[in-house]
Amino acid sequence: MIWAFLFAFCSTVGFCILFHVPKKHIASASFVGACGWLTYTDFITSGSGSVLACFAGSCVVALISDLFSRTFKEAATIFIIPGILPLVPGANMYYTMLAILEGNVERTASVGTETILMAGSIAVALLVVSSVIKLMALLERKIMSSFRKEIS
Amino acid sequence: MINQMQKKVLILALRAGELMMKSGAEIYRVEDTITRICKACRIPFVEVFATPTGIFLSLDEGSEDSDMHTFIKRIKGSSIDLEKISRINHFSREFTSTDLSIDSGLTILKDISNIKPYPLLLRIFGAALVSSFFALIFQGSYKDFFCAFFIGACSYMLSVLLDKLETNLFIRGFCCCAAATFLALGLFSTGLGSNLSSVIIGSIMIFLPGVALTNAVRDTLAGDMLSGASKGIEAVIIAVSIASGVGVAIKFWTILGGAFQ
Repeated sequence: MIWAFLFAFCSTVGFCILFHVPKKHIASASFVGACGWLTYTDFITSGSGSVLACFAGSCVVALISDLFSRTFKEAATIFIIPGILPLVPGANMYYTMLAILEGNVERTASVGTETILMAGSIAVALLVVSSVIKLMALLERKIMSSFRKEIS
Repeated sequence: MINQMQKKVLILALRAGELMMKSGAEIYRVEDTITRICKACRIPFVEVFATPTGIFLSLDEGSEDSDMHTFIKRIKGSSIDLEKISRINHFSREFTSTDLSIDSGLTILKDISNIKPYPLLLRIFGAALVSSFFALIFQGSYKDFFCAFFIGACSYMLSVLLDKLETNLFIRGFCCCAAATFLALGLFSTGLGSNLSSVIIGSIMIFLPGVALTNAVRDTLAGDMLSGASKGIEAVIIAVSIASGVGVAIKFWTILGGAFQ
């Protein structure tokens, strides 16, 4: 588990260099990526499907990114883009291609569908988390303003 | 007649928007930044429409005899540079909260646009890091680690070269992944490395369309359907190019008589 964290951390450092993440945020962005990957592997080892695991990993990435973007006063993109990349189903894409080359239509269909679903689950996770956060911020503001009205 | 102040505001806002769009920011962030800059310069009516390939901006002073001014900025080419996004974010916050003059704003933007990405050697090292550690994640051995390190560096160099030649994104993804797969197969036939799939997966990881995918979703979520759809198509095209690159390389390898697993 420590190894998985370390490997994911190092590869996200690589992505950070490629995408020119500001120097002072490389460590935190890589931490986000490693946490996402750790959640993914944790779900896989506990027996849930890869789509659900991808969804959970992306949720973690989106949540921690939002937390960091608030504490560092930065755009959340800086943490989300490197953080999400380990979860993008590159391996499944390769296996789909292998199945196509073998001429195995059934395997192509099943692995290909899983790949598309994994990519979709990343998207949906980001969507859900950011919507919930926006909603919560809105509610908080409304409650606070009505609270202030009652005081005054 | 357009007055001098309005023209400068237009240039400032458009430059900021163009820089953000070229660095891979989401649409709503670009539109928001432009609107904020214009509002900070006390222009009451601002309407922005941004797409990944162009920005449209209309300004009106709001008085009875004033004209509406519209500018169009075509955006060509884009690369991801998160440092620029972060700097412009800070700049727009500073510009709207303090009374920074427009001229000094323009010089700051010029500085930001001159920011270079990390030096080439470091980027090659970064690509090598990505592929080598992904090979380890997918059950590669220490031999695969070094193979993937080498292949990642080589394929990233090829992608930089193809970028210089201004090839389109399909050809780039295709060539880089085909080259990476060929290299991996070649290295394995000489007996280096033990787990072929881990090395290939590691080296294609660099080119995956993660950014296009996330931005497509965020744009769609924010209601920019046009940009969301176009980024989504970009992601699909890159994914297809990677898959076909790997597939063609393996097919060629077996046709040429090489062993495959």
